[in-house]
Amino acid sequence: MNQSVWGPVQREMTDLLQGHPDDVPAVVEQLKELQAILGHVPPLLVENPLCDFNKLYLTITEGVLERLYAGKFKDPAFLSRLDVEFAARYFDALRGWAGAGTSPRCPEVWACLFQRIPGPDCRPLPSACAGVNAHINFDLPFALVTTFDHLGSDPIDDSDQHHDYLEINDIFATAIPGLRRGYLEKWQLLIDTMNGCLDDWWQGEAVEYTRNVAWRNAQKLWGIRHDMSATDRERAGLDKTAAGLNKLLLSPLGAFLQ
Amino acid sequence: MGTRVTTMASEEEDGPLVGRADTLSQVQSDLRNAGPGGTSAVFVTGESGVGKSRLLRETAGAMRDAGFAVLSGTCLDIGDASPLHPVLQALRQFDHNVRPAGDAGALLDRVSQDLRAVAGDRRLLLVLDDLQWADRSTRQLLLYLLAGLGGVEIAVLAAVRAEALQGAHPLRKVLAELRRLRSVRVVDLAPLDRDQTVELVTAITNGRVEPEDADRVHKRSGGNPFVAEELARDLRDGRAELSDTLREIFLSRLAELPPPAHAVVHAIAAGVEPVAHDVLARVVPLSEAELIEAVRAAVAHRFVASAGDGYRLRHRLVAEILAGEVLPAEATALHRRFAEALEEPGATPDHARLAHHWQKAGEPSRALPSVVAAARSAEELYGFTEAHRHWSSALELTADGAPERTELLAHAAESAHQCGEHLRALSRLEDLSHRPDAPSQCDLHLRRARYLAAAGRTATAEAEYERALEAPDCSPRQRASAAAYLAELLLHLGRYADANARAVDALEMAEVNGSTADLVRASAALGFSAAFREDPDAGLAVIRNAVDIAERSGHPDELGVAYLHLAELLTGPLNNIEEGVLVARRGADRLASLGAGRTYQTRLLAVAAKGLFRVGQWSEADAVLETAMRHRPSGADAVELLLSRCQLWVGFGDVEAAHRDLDAVATLLAGGGARHVLPMLTLRAGLAMWQGEHATARASVQRGLTETRSDDLVLIGVLAWHGLRAEAEAHAAGQPVDPGALRRLKVAVERMVAGVGNAAVPVRAVIDGYADLCAAELSRVEGRQDPAPWAKAATTWDTRRQPYPAAYSRLRQAEAALQRRSRKAVAIGALREAYATAIAMGARPFAAEIVSVAQRYKVALADDVATVPFPQPQDTDELSLLTQREREVLAALAEGLTNREIGERLFISERTVGVHVGHIFDKLQVRTRVQASRVFLTAA
Repeated sequence: MNQSVWGPVQREMTDLLQGHPDDVPAVVEQLKELQAILGHVPPLLVENPLCDFNKLYLTITEGVLERLYAGKFKDPAFLSRLDVEFAARYFDALRGWAGAGTSPRCPEVWACLFQRIPGPDCRPLPSACAGVNAHINFDLPFALVTTFDHLGSDPIDDSDQHHDYLEINDIFATAIPGLRRGYLEKWQLLIDTMNGCLDDWWQGEAVEYTRNVAWRNAQKLWGIRHDMSATDRERAGLDKTAAGLNKLLLSPLGAFLQ
Repeated sequence: MGTRVTTMASEEEDGPLVGRADTLSQVQSDLRNAGPGGTSAVFVTGESGVGKSRLLRETAGAMRDAGFAVLSGTCLDIGDASPLHPVLQALRQFDHNVRPAGDAGALLDRVSQDLRAVAGDRRLLLVLDDLQWADRSTRQLLLYLLAGLGGVEIAVLAAVRAEALQGAHPLRKVLAELRRLRSVRVVDLAPLDRDQTVELVTAITNGRVEPEDADRVHKRSGGNPFVAEELARDLRDGRAELSDTLREIFLSRLAELPPPAHAVVHAIAAGVEPVAHDVLARVVPLSEAELIEAVRAAVAHRFVASAGDGYRLRHRLVAEILAGEVLPAEATALHRRFAEALEEPGATPDHARLAHHWQKAGEPSRALPSVVAAARSAEELYGFTEAHRHWSSALELTADGAPERTELLAHAAESAHQCGEHLRALSRLEDLSHRPDAPSQCDLHLRRARYLAAAGRTATAEAEYERALEAPDCSPRQRASAAAYLAELLLHLGRYADANARAVDALEMAEVNGSTADLVRASAALGFSAAFREDPDAGLAVIRNAVDIAERSGHPDELGVAYLHLAELLTGPLNNIEEGVLVARRGADRLASLGAGRTYQTRLLAVAAKGLFRVGQWSEADAVLETAMRHRPSGADAVELLLSRCQLWVGFGDVEAAHRDLDAVATLLAGGGARHVLPMLTLRAGLAMWQGEHATARASVQRGLTETRSDDLVLIGVLAWHGLRAEAEAHAAGQPVDPGALRRLKVAVERMVAGVGNAAVPVRAVIDGYADLCAAELSRVEGRQDPAPWAKAATTWDTRRQPYPAAYSRLRQAEAALQRRSRKAVAIGALREAYATAIAMGARPFAAEIVSVAQRYKVALADDVATVPFPQPQDTDELSLLTQREREVLAALAEGLTNREIGERLFISERTVGVHVGHIFDKLQVRTRVQASRVFLTAA
């Protein structure tokens, strides 16, 4: 195992990842500390692509927490659990990261982003998008399934939970103005240059759309959640597709989104 | 029984255990160190081949040597295993065959009894391999046992494949929650590093290995000991070319196997492990001698391991390799032979296994009876999740035209509903409605409404009930039932006027045509809706009548429901706690005399205990809870009782017991259940405050605030009070107040106050009480030293007849007044009153707080009571510590008299009796009247 994948902050990283936050305030706290640590990863320091994503994710989670405190959600127990489960998958990916090719526990879609931490430099927007893609297209459906399973309810359209879930799109919209309308045409252009299933994934309205895809995928996974091998296959499939998109985002092509 | 090849794969066949010595001793010590609840658990995770099973085996051996009773079970990956399979299988090895019981809780109790019987006076170690394949029932049983509910001093050691935890596997969540407990450890088994791999290779090759070869083994195995070991064996046996993959290793070995051994390996691969020798003999067409020879070869080539109960493939990784090697036609034939072998007369029917083989044999029609039988036996064990899966596969096995499909759909829908698969239940019901021989329209609407209501889709559920009522084929009985359910639904939605109107109709219909259950349901809806609409007497009369009706029917469930409704109405909206407690206890006694309705007895006692707590009769509440716990509750009922008991421990100041119950609650909640999280967090905050741990108290409250629904006004009130109190205590202790937390708490209070106008009157009264407490704490946080808001809070809680919050308010009122040096006499009066209440309840930390305030301002707490309470008992006769008066009270108490009766006999007030009883408890260091009586009777 490569012990120095985080360079001089290896120790801080390991210590931080010992923690398993179990509520939203603790998730925010952990993301804040992570932000500080990531800023010390050489050679790019605060310019590294994971920093870009983490910063965005922190902003979004703070937005969620604020709304939770303000009583803005219909089913806060659901949303809190979801937020914690969601974050746990990001922290798991970080925990599993031991360098390219030697991280069997790190999903490919995250590995794509993590291996770009030392460079070559990519632009902040595509970097953040790559993280968002990994987190939403891959982690989110599973976080949803676990949350519903734990709470003993199911993913039903137009339910309180679905309503709360969609509410987060507003937070995304304010947090990533760069992803809004103006960029969509460029996204579409980029996607059009690709063949295959990516086209189905990434048409329409970036984050909002993918988040709904995640909801649909969660419903699909929900139906097969007792079948371990089917779930495994689905997971591998999601990982592969999302990783394909990440490679594209982090390629020189992705820079033109900026 | 035929001959068996046993113990061939014993320890000497295993390679040496390298690099795990520290883990091994750590695991053993973790298992030995039981938590406060007497239980402990270690979950070992890691990739396939990393050595989890080996670690389990080694640990089990060492623990057995250390005097533990060891029970081992393996979970199956056939997906549709029977409920509780690994534990029941393990118990069978000790000749304990667990039979179905009266309800799901009774079944858990029965399993626990068997576990206790196996353990005898030893501690029990339950070892479970491949836990990722455990069914839902097994997971629930584990949590039940680890929470200490089974009364088994158990240590659990389980292995989980890391790969399984990556997606949305339920264990992922369970482990994430459990790992926070002190008695649970999750051990992640890492691959071996280079040096350890070299050590392993050197040991296997007896040192005859080139360094670069050892290096290659490390590279190719990635430090996976299973792979490294097999590669090293190839090296030792002088295979020319070191294989690149595990697959190559085993394929080349497969080629060397003699044909009969080849057949044995393939057969075991197709079987469900362990494959018993006699079953194998029927599957593989070999003579006894040939079979034994073949098995020996399979074991020698390290494909197969043999144990007392049968044969297994040596490793899951081997099974995966073999899976790709067997032709589909070959596999089909093997499954058919297994099915036939298992069906032979004399064999105990294992429906789940049989169903699996017939399905894989491509014989749906032969599989169907087994699948149906498996579904039914799963239902007998309350494994509705498993049953639902069996019913679903039964449906897959039948064509659309098959006549039995209608019945199967009905079962599939109902079992899906039972296990909380609401979407599935509804879609099955949809299919059922399209059958030519579907149930009546009314029946379908009723079921759909029930499923929708369970899924929380209340608006559509309401519409379905309406449709059922309008359906032309609706019988009078069904109509009464639909109306009663609808009234209940409306009540839950808080639409009291609608509920009331509907309940009146329902009751009318039920009186003529309904069942007792419908009558009780309609009466309850009417009673509660009336109470919430400020007509409590009308509501009470209706529910009392329902109890009479249930009494006449004598059916335990109906009695239980009726008593429960009456007790909840009295202790809840009517706030007539004394009578509510009486009703609850009478109901529980009534059911106990019938010897039935265990669940309802538990629930009734829970209501009684809650009421007793609120009116300040804590020792009585303690005794009631003790009785209730003896019913060995499970699930949500157990969580409720544990929370109530923990509330008492916090009040009594028994920190250890409080932590124990909080851990038990957390263990049970790891399996799901959101509505108990907030009460748990509140208790955690309350306990932390008495211990001066402000950070913990704050964090619990802040988390609670993120999870409170904006319409849960009472919960917001309790939490906000705890949060503000934590800030006030921090302020008083000279620590900084958290401005962010304070701002959020204020927002929460505003939300509560804003919402109070929409709440029903009885709820409003409670919220007002908390709003008063919040306002008063806020004055303390702001350093205002104002007795007025506290005096107001005390009055509000006096009106509610809840002495604890009232006394707490008096303490703060007195403190503020003494600080200001104003109205000292009133302050002293308030402080003494608070002290008397605290002593009567046995509220030690609270009393200690009062004493410290009294000492700070040099106030004597009572004329005849020492300022320093709770003198330590000396080494003399226990009763010698008591005053003459206290002895008289104790004597009367031991006769079973109530405080009022004692007061009447000794011509003192009931409250004074309470003070004496409090002193007696403290001097004798007991908590309940029963315990005090015991001390008296032994000493006298």
